[in-house]
Amino acid sequence: MQALLFILFGGLAIGCALAVVAQRNPLYNAISLVGVFISLACLYVMLAAPFIAAVQVIVYAGAIMVLVVFVIMLLNVEQEERGRGRLKFLVPTAVALAAVLIAEVAFILVSVQEFPAGASSDIGLTHSIGTALFTRYLLPFEITSILLLMAIVGAMTLARRGGLLSPNARVIPGAQTLPRSLVDPKAAPDDLHAVEAESTEEAARLLDVVDLSSRSRRDE
Amino acid sequence: MDTAIDIVLKFVAITVVFVVVLMVVAYTVLAERRVLGFIQGRLGPNRVGYGGILQPFADLLKFILKEDIVPDKSTRFIYFLAPVIATMAALMTMIVYPFGPETRIPFTSISIPLVVARFDIGLLYVLGITSIGVYGIMLAGWSSNNKYSLMGGLRSSAQMISYELALGLSLIGVIMLAGTLDLAQIVDQQSGWNGLRWLIIFQPLGFIIYMIAAIAETNRVPFDLPEAETELVAGFHTEYSAMKFALFFLAEYINMFTVAMLATTLFLGGWNVPFADSIFGRGTFLFGLVSAIGFLLKVVFILFLYIWLRGTLPRFRFDQLMNFGWKILLPLALLNIFLTATVIFLVS
Repeated sequence: MQALLFILFGGLAIGCALAVVAQRNPLYNAISLVGVFISLACLYVMLAAPFIAAVQVIVYAGAIMVLVVFVIMLLNVEQEERGRGRLKFLVPTAVALAAVLIAEVAFILVSVQEFPAGASSDIGLTHSIGTALFTRYLLPFEITSILLLMAIVGAMTLARRGGLLSPNARVIPGAQTLPRSLVDPKAAPDDLHAVEAESTEEAARLLDVVDLSSRSRRDE
Repeated sequence: MDTAIDIVLKFVAITVVFVVVLMVVAYTVLAERRVLGFIQGRLGPNRVGYGGILQPFADLLKFILKEDIVPDKSTRFIYFLAPVIATMAALMTMIVYPFGPETRIPFTSISIPLVVARFDIGLLYVLGITSIGVYGIMLAGWSSNNKYSLMGGLRSSAQMISYELALGLSLIGVIMLAGTLDLAQIVDQQSGWNGLRWLIIFQPLGFIIYMIAAIAETNRVPFDLPEAETELVAGFHTEYSAMKFALFFLAEYINMFTVAMLATTLFLGGWNVPFADSIFGRGTFLFGLVSAIGFLLKVVFILFLYIWLRGTLPRFRFDQLMNFGWKILLPLALLNIFLTATVIFLVS
């Protein structure tokens, strides 16, 4: 029974992983990757590590891949542009890295044969992971969270470029751009000065429009 | 041999749970239409059977017999896959909820727990499966090759990612108080004191945050922007018809049922009914029956709350929705964790 399930989920994981590489449509790639993550989670359950399995599904399949699919849908990338010259060098690199990986696996299979008998059986359970994270590995845990926070703040500062747009500026699809005529009642209708902003108030501030308050009152 | 019997028993249990859940869901749809009718001063469907009691089956028959239209330029495989993912993810969470206590079957000495599967990480399992459900809606929106569907799919994924955070964080207070992720144990800890140990008393803020985030997670009014009919036709399921549409419809109502059951299990004491154990005695058949009925009644009450909200509130605007989720609900959930941790630290 165990062997049967292992073959089923292992095969599913490998099949999905091959599909990730072989498919040409980016959305199919992403869905295949979700399949890989879910099959891996099933394998973790079989290895008696239910917490890791659940986190694998929640974090990878449920959050990160949703974002990836979201971006693919937002940009609506239809087909990968094939045969781009500047990526050609990646093919021999990939082959070399794959060889290294296979050699590594072979080395481990040859050198480590005995399963350590005295290994404690509560590895991967919620309680043991929690205790370890918040006592023995507290410092690395906190450092990792600060690192993640810094990454988020960095991404925000890089992505948020409010301000006046030049006439041929390229705008991220989905970003909100507001022309002056929208926030300034006295502007000429063909005034094409535009800013990227979160709200009309912010746009008014960036464009130095003063009597926005009178306008918004009129709208209501 | 024993494992074979076990597997057969599990299949039977799953079938029973699915049938019960689908029946309740079918009648939730009817109840929604009748209650909305009452709120809006009209009758609602009351012609099929006595007082409309057979309306769900008439609806089902209609869904099956309608023509199934597939848009010409859709991505066929994903177009077919999306409703399946949505329904499957909605149904898969059903198996972990404890519907009642250990109950002795009448005239025998066998006791069975009224839960299909019980494991260490029940709560995380529910959250994980729920987070898979968003793919159904996203892929439906993308594969239909329709701009309204795409907009609906994008909106729903943005909304569900945002509110999943607040939902997960609002449950951490419960986990901290209970010290376990096993739903059956959480319910056990809430028994006694005739209802005064229900976690809603210790986690009022957590309960409110959970209820709001749960409504957003299930795309219900006032957070039903993914299918806002005044601007997006019908959102992600614009191009779906017949049974495929019915599957999405089903998934939405099962999800409502799921979040109502989770709220009952975590905050409203699960199957615990005040004074039931002193009247009937633990472990008897009547106690099990009363507990299971009590559980269902609590769930039905939350479902009624949902329908009531739908009849009362208008829809949010999209930027209001995002601001509310990230700037109000998420900090409140963090505050709730902080308060709970402080109280636990001071008490112990």
